[in-house]
Amino acid sequence: MAAEVENEISVPINSDQDVVVARHKGRGLATELGFSASDSTLLATAISELARNIVSYAGRGEIVLRASHNSDRPGVTVVARDTGPGIASIEQALRDGYSTSGSLGLGLPGARRLVDEFEIVSKVGQGTTVTVRKWKG
Amino acid sequence: MGIAKTTSDLESLYGEALAQYLAGGEEGALHGAYEVGRLALASEVGLLDLAALHHSALIRILAGAHRQDEIGARCSAASQFFTECLSPYEMSQRGYRDAVAALHLLNETLEKEVQRIAHAVHDEAGQLLVVVYLALAEIAKDLTPAMQARIKDVTDLLYQVEGHLRELSHELRPTILDDLGLVPAVRFLADRVSRRSSLAVQVKANLDGRLVPVVEIALYRIIQEALNNAIRHSQAKSVWIQLDEDPGRIVCSIRDDGIGFRPAAGFSETGKKGLGLIGIQERLSAIGGTLQITSEPGRGTELLIVVPKENSNGNSNRTCR
Repeated sequence: MAAEVENEISVPINSDQDVVVARHKGRGLATELGFSASDSTLLATAISELARNIVSYAGRGEIVLRASHNSDRPGVTVVARDTGPGIASIEQALRDGYSTSGSLGLGLPGARRLVDEFEIVSKVGQGTTVTVRKWKG
Repeated sequence: MGIAKTTSDLESLYGEALAQYLAGGEEGALHGAYEVGRLALASEVGLLDLAALHHSALIRILAGAHRQDEIGARCSAASQFFTECLSPYEMSQRGYRDAVAALHLLNETLEKEVQRIAHAVHDEAGQLLVVVYLALAEIAKDLTPAMQARIKDVTDLLYQVEGHLRELSHELRPTILDDLGLVPAVRFLADRVSRRSSLAVQVKANLDGRLVPVVEIALYRIIQEALNNAIRHSQAKSVWIQLDEDPGRIVCSIRDDGIGFRPAAGFSETGKKGLGLIGIQERLSAIGGTLQITSEPGRGTELLIVVPKENSNGNSNRTCR
């Protein structure tokens, strides 16, 4: 179940059902912050891609959602963390066509295009953390 | 990603997930919409087919609704659901946009590189050869007439080398295009093609002044490609090139009297002809132009190209995202 600590929502990701929870929490937060319906949908889609990656490649992990603010507008920060096998070549993983979903412009490269900021840290054998941020349009 | 589905499989998946959403399925059902969209994309179901699928599902769910508020609620729920289903397509389309922008950039880089090589081949090698001629002439002064004759043979060979280098440089990037503009360059190209092949190429042009460089080079390359296609595939005897200026746009027609082809096949074949047309299309989309092909077997081929003169499109494409 999702845990909420100091405006932070953490959703453990072990199955497709958890992906739904993460989307739901992310969309809720975006709506609360005044995101348009289509921006909320794009955020939910990015969360789905990140959560999917956790389920497919690491088996388990978590998604942490947090409201962010810059000088003039609110945003949502999503941290997707796993302790899976990690990614040897991040550059390659972010290239379209590296994986089946990547060749369609989905997956990590796809998620990156739906958000405003994207950061990925990965160590082989230790896991991967992807942090994305989308500002209210 | 799942296994590719047929449209009718997707239709029932879509219908089930939508019914679930209307029954209060909330996020789980929206997730289902996104999954159906993802599956449709992976199964190469077109966007229009997906819209048709949505439309027929919508008709079904509205059939049971009679009250105005009920119809309204179902419609807006269905629209939210459809948006979710389209989001993978949005993601994918952003990817294509990036890819097209990267292609344009690559094309520009290649064009610059070609220009650099053409310059090196023509100017730099040409200047070196001049020095060699002078040195040979100097040497020849001190030699017997017999030896002078042999030096002359060498000089003649070097003239041939220079000629080849000039040809090569022109093929790469005609300096005439940079110096004098599109029309003289196209006339020059037409003349060369007419001389080295059995194709008679005629050029008619009503263009005043210079165009922006990206438009000039794109049109030149397109005409070059079209002439190559005509030589390789059309069995044409004549080609007519017409360049006209409309307010704000350039219209270019390239017509031949060859064997023709079915335009759809020209694009889908992975053969050389297909690639040539795709290349032309790609160059045109980089500068916001359009291509219309009129051809049928036995009736010749006409490419009609329209390009905006100012070409703001090519620049704005590169700056987006």
